[in-house]
Formats: sequence, structure tokens, C-alpha cells
Amino acid sequence: MSNPSTARESRVGRTAAMSLMFLLAIYFLLPIYFLIVAATKPQSDLASTFGLAFSHFDLFHNLHTLFSRDGGIYGRWAVNSVIYAVLGAAVGTFISALCGYALAKFPFRGREFLFSVILGGVLVPTTALALPLFLLFSKTGIVNTYFAVFLPSIVSPFGVYLARIFTAAAVPDELLESARLDGAGEFRTFFSVALRLMSPSLVTIFLFQFVAIWNNFFLPMVMLQKESLFPITLGLYEWNGQTARAPLLQESVITGSLVSILPVIVVFILLQRFWRTGLASGALK
Amino acid sequence: MTDTASRATRVVAASGRRRRHLGGGPRAGTIVAFLTPFFLPFVLFYLVPIGYAIWQSFRVVRRTGGQYGTSYTTFGGFHQYVQVFHNTEFWSSIERIGLFGVVQVPVMLFVALIMALLLDSPLLRLRSFFRIAAFMPYAVPGVIAAIMWSFLYSPQLSPVVEVLKDVGLTPNFLGPGAVLWSTANVSTWLWTGYNMLILFSALQSIPQELYEAARLDGASNWAIAWRIKVPIIAPSIILTTVFSIIGTLQLYAEPAVLRQISSNISSTYTPNMLAYAVASGNNYQQAAAISVVIAVVTFVLSFGFMRLTTRRAGL
Amino acid sequence: MSNTVTRIRLAGVAAAASLVVLTGCSSSAPSGHSSAAAAACAPAKGKVTLQYWNTVPGMDKVVALWNKSHPNVQVQTKNISNDQYGTLGNALKAGKAPDLAQVGYDELPDLRTQNAFVDASSCKAATAAKSKFVPWTWSQASFGGTGVFAFPQDTGPMALFVRSDIFKQHGLSIPTTWDEYAADAKKLHDADHNLSITFFDPNNAEWFNGLLWQNSAHMYSYSGNSWHVSVDSAQSKQVAAYWQKLIDQKLVRTDLANGSTPMYAAYQKNQVASYVGAAWGYSMFRDNLPDQAGKWAVVPMPTWGTNAASGDWGGSTVAFMKGSKHLYESVEFNSWLNTDPQALALENKLGGLYPAATAGTKLPALSQGVPYYNNQKIFDVFADSSQNIDTSFAWGPTQKTVNLALQDSMAKAAAGSGTLTGSLSAAQAAALKSMKDLAIPATAGK
Repeated sequence: MSNPSTARESRVGRTAAMSLMFLLAIYFLLPIYFLIVAATKPQSDLASTFGLAFSHFDLFHNLHTLFSRDGGIYGRWAVNSVIYAVLGAAVGTFISALCGYALAKFPFRGREFLFSVILGGVLVPTTALALPLFLLFSKTGIVNTYFAVFLPSIVSPFGVYLARIFTAAAVPDELLESARLDGAGEFRTFFSVALRLMSPSLVTIFLFQFVAIWNNFFLPMVMLQKESLFPITLGLYEWNGQTARAPLLQESVITGSLVSILPVIVVFILLQRFWRTGLASGALK
Repeated sequence: MTDTASRATRVVAASGRRRRHLGGGPRAGTIVAFLTPFFLPFVLFYLVPIGYAIWQSFRVVRRTGGQYGTSYTTFGGFHQYVQVFHNTEFWSSIERIGLFGVVQVPVMLFVALIMALLLDSPLLRLRSFFRIAAFMPYAVPGVIAAIMWSFLYSPQLSPVVEVLKDVGLTPNFLGPGAVLWSTANVSTWLWTGYNMLILFSALQSIPQELYEAARLDGASNWAIAWRIKVPIIAPSIILTTVFSIIGTLQLYAEPAVLRQISSNISSTYTPNMLAYAVASGNNYQQAAAISVVIAVVTFVLSFGFMRLTTRRAGL
Repeated sequence: MSNTVTRIRLAGVAAAASLVVLTGCSSSAPSGHSSAAAAACAPAKGKVTLQYWNTVPGMDKVVALWNKSHPNVQVQTKNISNDQYGTLGNALKAGKAPDLAQVGYDELPDLRTQNAFVDASSCKAATAAKSKFVPWTWSQASFGGTGVFAFPQDTGPMALFVRSDIFKQHGLSIPTTWDEYAADAKKLHDADHNLSITFFDPNNAEWFNGLLWQNSAHMYSYSGNSWHVSVDSAQSKQVAAYWQKLIDQKLVRTDLANGSTPMYAAYQKNQVASYVGAAWGYSMFRDNLPDQAGKWAVVPMPTWGTNAASGDWGGSTVAFMKGSKHLYESVEFNSWLNTDPQALALENKLGGLYPAATAGTKLPALSQGVPYYNNQKIFDVFADSSQNIDTSFAWGPTQKTVNLALQDSMAKAAAGSGTLTGSLSAAQAAALKSMKDLAIPATAGK
């Protein structure tokens, strides 16, 4: 088993594998490292000093500029992003859980049909929905309000798909039966028995939907004109477009980008295991 | 993925159905109450806009009276679709995105697969570091990723350009030929880790016993990886491919950001940008037709790909 | 600087396409033939409040001046510089348009096609205002005298900004024709390979349109129940071929975007010797390149042969929006806003507007020497330019789409694939197609 040729193979292989992975890790981390370095520099050092080396440490000044620019609009954008992504994903997860649970545990006619409609929804490119939604919303006066972005964001067919699979795997019928025998109604059974068992998978659904909303740029761009309603992504995009003419904005775009992604990265790393269970079930079931 | 998925849940559901008959199922009203919170917005914000886009794509604008006149719309059959198919901008955006997808998707998934296999092999140390490093970009929205990379592409600010200059190279990441691949790089950077994690999770759930026999027969890690692991996780590879195809066809944010610094990205660079540009010109009917075509192409490609590969792999 | 930024936005130069929402075609039946019939013009009884949307910095202070002396006609302003046409479009759709709104000259036909305006010609004060404005502005705001849909507010008469020191250093006199300009371009470049006479920004259709306008290029006309589109006329082609030649010989740079940091850097490093600009741009160099004070001069645009015509780049109007219930008062306020010397002076000071009213070009602030320019009375040059602008020039009803097509193609030409003449053909095709798509009758040629 441990003959010399496999040992050599594994030594060579080990070195090659480690080198390759290190190269790739540098590739993935370099832009983030660059952003961190750039966010600590004064605007004047951006072009004149080497991009990967720290120079004058000006981070706090940059943060101050960022949060006070245009009457503190950046803070507003941050709050908006939280409203859209966190609140939207929370509501979305809840309704996905309700629906997925019903699809997994309640037998009724047309269930498989409904499920295939939802599965079809997974494949619909959401950007294709944005323009028609915009026209419909502008007829009803919802355009350019929080609802214009929030309402479409809570719908996640992929979330329902995951919820159904997770429910089937994590919630045994026997437990539900005994809850029912104890006289609990369907909602009480759901809230007191099923939801608890589903909670790890709900975190996963939440994360997926959070990322989907957090990433969705096209929808807010189409729907919103009022700067005070922008999520961070749209706001930074606007600023970035103005840097050619207002170069001083550049530092705020950089600092703003960093401030917006750091908390999310930290949360992602902390919640790693939920990703993996989610991805595994999503991929394999 | 959907086929196998629904098969699996169908089995689960079937067993549930059997039990339910003993205790009696919930009332119809209850079921509706569970389903409505999702289905109401699903219908309003998914199905209705799809229907509206389809309806609109069959309308044409007509006008009465004079130089400026008053416009109204009427049924126009396939007029808008004919217009779309005669639009050279449309075809060049499709061609561009096709080239992008044919190169970027395989490259990205190949890198993701290699990483996943290495992370799953005994060859590596510092696994969680590598996993986290690769996954980190997933936390970055496309717009911000493109902004970050645009600094690394910019001739004035980029340390990469500076280093390459010292070696005697003067790359122009934003030039007419290069900018498509600079965009592809942003997508690759963003999504490789995500796809890697899907494949890695799949690998992790393969029971170890499956390799044991092969290992006893003296098969190398390499052989085990390609002959045993890859075929087993084929469904996951298909899934990541399908999602990547969908993503490619929807490309908007990354080229839109790079357009802010490169005149080599036109206003109609991708199908989505074209749809937006056409809508900006008040031609909503044609924009709807473009949206419908994008959706149909996405559907056909992803379903087609799934059909083709699942049949080949005998899954 | 901030003034310049805003001016550029006002001028519609910002290339980012914002989704314009004015469909006007959502109804499924025609709602009457005379889309812009003159509305009744009667003064209201009692107090009136008008809504006025604009993108001019400091406009609230100008309006405050009016409100103080007109207790019965109060005006509320709203700054919509974030997305001028998007905001306006949404409001129109929802039936909540303001009484008055700022609209660029090149957007007027587009909006009119969408039925966004009301004709104020039933108000005597409206028709009488004609004599108060620079001729070409009135021609555009009245759509060739067919009604009064807007009052002109500001303009961007073009002129040439030159680094007189660089020209002198190379023994060159200031060019007065485009031929001389091209010859000087070669001499400067031969003398110093890092020196270009100017730059060509392919993503700036508005600027290029100004150049076409100067050469009496007529892009649109209307007769016999049809628009006639000649974006690629011989005059336009002459301008395109001229710049193409300069680009081919590498005498002008194509890597600088107007108003961008790299552009100022190039000027700072003395790599570019002149700038083809407009009146509102006089503060650009003053604010961004303070060390070059005294080195700049403003001279008339180089001419095509002996034709002294000039062109316009940017500027806008204040339009009478459909749905306004107080046309009489709107005319009254709009007229004060754009012809009263006190208002014009304040708009010039706070918003950097270069007035469209003839009286405005004689404001004290615009009659003095400007220190940055060696105390040259630069505004005299702009005032002359303004008077020399072709009055028969007209914009098309799908101008935004045409501009985008022009830019996309010019960017390719600047990168070496295709020519600017080809870009005109692309723009011509885009114009015909976009008009056809919106059922606007259009044919090619005169």
C-alpha cells in the first residue's frame, strides 16, 4: 500500500497542490487586500503610491468623509440595504418555509403541479422580470418607493424548493402525527414542532436569499430614482460614475465598498457550516 | 437536478400520503393559508410580469395626428420578435455573451472542480483557509466586485499594471479586445468559490467506503478523483453549469460598471444592456420582446443542457 | 468644480443613460387628435401654488426671490438632478407632473412626442416673449414657431479655449478656420510628439452634435406628413471626415473623456493645447487648473471656410407641462425666471447658467474681464457665438437613442474599427429604426 512510487507521487502532488492553492488564494484575496490598503490612503496617494503598499494612514478621515458626504447619504444607503436584504430575506424565508412545509407534508391535488411551477420559477432570469415589473409598478404608483424593491425581493422559488427538501429530510411525520393527536392545529404544529426542526435549514435559506437580494442590482436600478431609497450597491455605482468628473469621490467609493462588504464577509465566515449543508442538499437531493 | 429532486421528494411525499390517510389530512382552508403567503407575491411579482411582458411583446405602437401626434398600442403579432431577430446589435450581444459563456463557464468550473477535489484529497493542509479565501468573493455584490477590479484594471491606479510595466509589459485591460475577458475575470473571481463549495459539499457526502476498494487496488489519488469522484458528483457539476449559464445570460452589472471607465463597452454590450437601452428609448414593446427572448433562450439552454447531460450520464 | 459638474449634467452630457419612462403609449386607444392644442389662459382667482422641477444648483434661492414679491403665486422647487428624465417620466405617467420642468433642448421633441407639454400660445405674454430670447433658442422652444411649449433658460454657445502661451511658443497664430486648426495640429505634434492640439471624446455625442450644428448640418425636418432624417448629410460627413483624419494621423488624443481626471491631468502636463468648449465650461479650467491662470484665452470657433456660424453644446429650457391648471401664472413666473435681470444674475452666480435671454448676455457679471483669462472679456466671444448659431437646426424625436448609437459607433472608430463617417450612417439607421418603432413617420434624406 505504501509503496515508494505512491509516496513520491504524493510528495510531488502535495507540493504541486499546495502551490496551486496558494496561487488561487492570492487571486481571490488580492482585490480585497487592495481595497483595504486603498481605503487607508488619502486620495492623493491613490495614484502616486504603489497600490499594494500602505502609505499615509488616513482610514478614519476617509470614514468620516464617507459618512458625512452629501448629508450622510451613505449611512442611509446602508440602512436601506439592511431593509431590503435582511428584512426581505427574513420575510422571504418565512413564506418559503410555510409553502415548502405545506408542499412536503400536506397531500393535496395539484401539489406536484404547483411544485413544478415553482421549479420553473427558479430558472426564470430575474432581470427579465425587472422591466415589465417596472411598467406595472409605475401604473400603480409603487415605482420609486421602498416597496418597489422590497416586494419582488421576498419571492424566492429556490427558497421554497430548499424548504420542501429540508422539511422532507428533517421533519419526521411521526412527530407531526403525535402533535396532531395531542390536539394541536396545523399552525401550532408548524410553529412548535416543524419550525424548530427546520431552523438550521432556515438559516441556509435566509443566507441564499440575502445574497440574492444583496447582489440584485438591476431591479433597484430600474425601480429607483430617489437617492435616499438606494441600496449601497446602486449608490456606489452612481458615485463611481461621477468619479471621472469629481475625482475626490474615488476615495469614498473605495472606502464605501470596503465598509459595505466587510460585515457581510465576517458573517459569511461565521455561518460557514450553513452554507455547506445548504449547498450539499441543494445539489444532491 | 430538478428531475432527481422532485423524484426524491415525491418518494418522501408518497410515504407521507400513506400515513395521512390514517389520521386525515388538514382542511383545504389550512393548506391555502400555508401556501398563500408565498403564492400571492409569486403570482403578482413573477407570473404577472411574465404574462405582461409576453402580452406587451405582441403589441406595436401606432400614432395619430401630425408631426408629434398621440400614440397608442395595438396587437402586432410577431412584429417585435421579427424586429429583434433583424437587429444586428441583438445578434452581436448574443455572440459576445456566447463567446463569454463558452470560455468563462468551463474555465471557472474547471478551476472550481480542481479546488474542490484538492480540498477533498489528503494532499492539502490549511484547508479551511483555502476554502474561506475562495468563498469570500461570494459575499461581494457584482457591482462592488466590478468596481474593485476596475481599480486593478485602471492604467492610473492599478498596482498590477505597475508591476507588469516593471517587467516590460504594457497591458491594456480595457482595450477593445481585452475588455470582454476582463469582464469574464470579474465573474470568475465572484463565482468560482461558490461553485467550488457546491462541488466540495457533494464530494464530502460520498461515503468513504466507495474509494476504499479502489485504494486497496493501488489506484492513485488522481485516478480515484477522475474515475470515481467526478462521475459521482456529475449532478452537482450539471447544476453549477446550469446556474452559470443562467448567470451569463443575465450579465449586466459587471459590464455596466466597466463601461464607466472603458468606451470599449457599448450601451448594447450584453442582451440585458440592450433591453435596457431599448426601454430607455421608450420602446417598451421591443424591450419586452428582448426580455422574453432572453428568458426563452435561458430556459432552452438550461433545460437542454440538463436533458443532454443526464441522458448521456445515464442519470 | 461642483458648478461645472452640474452644468455638464444640465447640458445632458452625462453619457449614462437613465431610463426614461415617458411612454405615453400605454393607453390602448387614441385619446384625441390635437395633442398639443393651446390651453385656455386665464388668471386664477386667489392664491396659486406652482410646482417647478429643475436641476440647477441654487434655484431655490432664485425662487425665494420671486415668492417674496408674489404672495399670490407661490412656487415650490424640487431638485431632480439625480435622474431628471426618469423622475419627470414617472410623474407624467402617474399624472402628477409639475407645472414647469427643466428640459434640455435636445429632449424637447422626444417629450413632445410623448405628449408631455401644453401649448401656452393662448397667453399673450407667452407669444410676446419671443423677442426677448436669442433667436435659435426660441426656434427650438417653439418648435419652429408652431406654439410656445417652453421658455429658453440657458445655452452653451461654443468657442475655442486656447493655451495662447503654447501657440506663441511654437510660433503659431490663433487658428480661425478648421483648415488652419488642422495645420496647427500637425505643426504642434511634429514639434513635440507628446503634444496634441485637442482630444476627441467618442462618448460625447452632445459635443459632436454641436460641431455638426456649426457646419449647418440639418439632421431633421418635417414636411408632407413625414419626418426627413439626414443625420448623415454631406455637411455632417465633412465634419466627421475632418476629425477622422486628425485621429488617423494621431494628431488628437482619443483616450480622454471630457471633464475626467485624466483629461485635466493631460492639460496640467501641457500635453493638450486647446479645448473646443461651451460658455458654461469657462469655470472648468479656472477651478481645476489654477496654476494655468493667465495662459488661457477664449476665441471664436474655427470656421468652415468663410461661414462664421457657430454651434451650441448643451443648455435647457423651462417647459410648460401638460396637466398644469395655472397656465397664466406659469407663464408669468417662467417669463420672470428667464428674462428678469435680477433672476438671471442670480442664476448665473449660483448655478453657472449662461442665459438664453438677450438681456442676460449683457449682465454686468458677463460684461467684465475674467481674471483667470488675463482679464479678457470672454463672454463677448460667447455672446457673438450665440448670435451666430443656425436657427433652423432641429433635434429628432428619438435623440437619446440616436446619441447612444452614435457614441457606440464613434468609440469603435476611435479604437480603430470603422470610421466616424460610418458612425453617422449608424446613427442615421438608428434614427430611422427608432422612429419607425415608435410609429413616427420617417424617411431618409431631405
